[in-house]
Amino acid sequence: MYKAIRSESFAAWAFMAPGLLFLAVFTFWPIIYGIPLSLTDYSVITETHFVGLDNFTRAFQDHNFLISLWNSLVYVLVVPVIQIISILMAILVNSRIPGVKMFRAAYYIPVVTSMVAVALIWSWLLGNNGVVNYLLLKVGILSEQISWLSTSSTALYVLMFITMWKGLGYYMMLYLAGLQGIPADLYEAARVDGAGPLRLIIHVTLPLLRPHILFCTVISVMGAVRVFDEVYILTKGGPGTSTLTSSVYIFQKGLEQFNFGYASALGLIVSVMVAALSVLVFRLNRRGGVNTY
Amino acid sequence: MTTNRKGFTVSLLLVVMMSMLLAACGGNDNTAGTPSPGSTGETGTEAGKPVTLEFWTIALQPTFNDYFNELIAKYESSHPGVKVEWKDYPYDAISQRLLTSTASGKSPDVVNLNTEFASQLGSKGALLNLNEYLTDEEAKSYFEGIYNSTVLDGKAYALPWYTGTEVLFMNTKLVKEAGLDPSNPPQTREELVEWARQVHEKTGVAGYAQQLVSKLFPIDGIPILNEDKTAAAFNTPVAEAMIAQMRDLMAEGVVLKEDAEFSKQIQYFSGEQVAFQLSGPTFINFIKKSAPDVYKNTIAVTLPTGKANLRLSNSMDLVVPQKSKNPEQAVEFAAFMTNAENQTAFSKVANTLPSSKASIEDPFFTQSDGSLEAEAKVASSQSLDKATDYMVGVPNAGDINSALARGLQEILMNGADIKETLNAVEKEVNQILNQDS
Repeated sequence: MYKAIRSESFAAWAFMAPGLLFLAVFTFWPIIYGIPLSLTDYSVITETHFVGLDNFTRAFQDHNFLISLWNSLVYVLVVPVIQIISILMAILVNSRIPGVKMFRAAYYIPVVTSMVAVALIWSWLLGNNGVVNYLLLKVGILSEQISWLSTSSTALYVLMFITMWKGLGYYMMLYLAGLQGIPADLYEAARVDGAGPLRLIIHVTLPLLRPHILFCTVISVMGAVRVFDEVYILTKGGPGTSTLTSSVYIFQKGLEQFNFGYASALGLIVSVMVAALSVLVFRLNRRGGVNTY
Repeated sequence: MTTNRKGFTVSLLLVVMMSMLLAACGGNDNTAGTPSPGSTGETGTEAGKPVTLEFWTIALQPTFNDYFNELIAKYESSHPGVKVEWKDYPYDAISQRLLTSTASGKSPDVVNLNTEFASQLGSKGALLNLNEYLTDEEAKSYFEGIYNSTVLDGKAYALPWYTGTEVLFMNTKLVKEAGLDPSNPPQTREELVEWARQVHEKTGVAGYAQQLVSKLFPIDGIPILNEDKTAAAFNTPVAEAMIAQMRDLMAEGVVLKEDAEFSKQIQYFSGEQVAFQLSGPTFINFIKKSAPDVYKNTIAVTLPTGKANLRLSNSMDLVVPQKSKNPEQAVEFAAFMTNAENQTAFSKVANTLPSSKASIEDPFFTQSDGSLEAEAKVASSQSLDKATDYMVGVPNAGDINSALARGLQEILMNGADIKETLNAVEKEVNQILNQDS
């Protein structure tokens, strides 16, 4: 028995080794290496000095960094919206309505489209003379053009919408997998007890989807706090600091201004924040799901 | 179960150690050649030792392959033992490439950078002080204003290469519709604003779009930093007035209320949403392709000046990284690439302006055949002697530019208070100047 377990675990480790090695070199090691770096003024191109906790004290006095943290937290508001809509979409495409396969494919297309292409398409749609302004002016919702991405009151929410639009299909697929694992007899039993469609969702579907909701929420929170591509391509954090998120600010400090020591400190602070949020999400979703054994 | 946990711990430790070993493979060779002041005349290589120079440019391949291959071949034949390896990177990628190469101890020898980036790296001590290598005659062969753009504390960190000064492009159809005479163009910023206002009133089209960058300050004679570059100097009543006027013009619709990058500016001019465009001659190439009808109605005239009565150049430079293993040969090659003869030849193939004084005497820069390209070229080349890059000798230019651009966006796009924002940006810029990193 013991031998069997040993050989089994050896096989498991052997299978995981290539992926783990890759992770170790490109993820774990940079994280570990970031800790000593955050205590220096490392800039690649000049001599490095130890600066102790200066980078951390500077970070909490850095007005732009605090704004970027706030913007990243605001970005997390996109998470519940994405989860609710993608669960509803999954329920929809799990039904037997005609043409459902087409919908599944259509919802998934944004997921596999490159973010650069998505960002460019949206920048045209949302431009001053873009389709969005044209339609809203036509139906009378707007009285004048809006520069959606250049106006501080709209830019961040527009970016959140783009993130949501691109991510919906991905989470929908995960929830669809979860839905297909729920035994049909549970629904039948509930129907026999007189449950309607809404009650089925509330009392059968959602409780049994909890592990999926937990997983999707955690990765979605992480994604929201670390959002980079769409922000950098479309606004670079502007106008002013309206859409400056922590990842964009860290990128600017490190790779544009060569303050790698400082950027490492900022990265560590954000990592701690993401970890704390993830723990919170775990705490809130501890029960539920289908026991498959 | 405990076995599994132990196994996991041991495996994780192994993996981490492996990764440390792997990560430690990239050495960081920190040796840089010691300078030997004086000439960069054709010396060839020391004791016949073969030298390979790595030369990086920004977005010049494949368009100018013939020019560069020919020039490099010419250089190699006159410098036995020197081989030049030419690599080209996109604009956005060159800084990352330079960092990663430097970190791995494989620094290139001659790199093409813009003035802002050269100043940023120079102030961090990452570039050679070229004053220790060049003769006086060589240093004086460039336009003074452009050469001084990357001089910090008396150290020259870059050789100016091809440059551009802005001209004013005008959509004559819109200008005529507004009842203005394109043959008598505006001479000052004030006049340009009046023209833009009239165009907006008569045609509904905005005057022009612009990017909110720090050069808006020096155009109106507001210095970004004080004389000895130790503190911010832009927080003045004049700056407040300049920004307030810009805000009012945006509110009126005379200037587009947008922080328009160059690509956006092309779109606006092509789509006839603005009547004017303030930019370098390369703008023509884009309009020609994207809007041939607009191109037909466009003329180029000398750029109206602001209160400072100066014209700003936007230069590309050649720098030699501090970690180059062949500093002398590298400087010599950079001087060769940027000498008058080669700059003139490059301007002819690339439709750019030279930064060497002697080049400008070539008929190519004084005679116009009446085409838009020739008009723009003559208009801009005749202002080179008065041209200066706007980040002249500014340490950490990139950081300071970002801070100022963000401040301008806060005021003009987000409606923040002018005085409060200028105070905050002044504080930020002073912090940038005071920190070592």
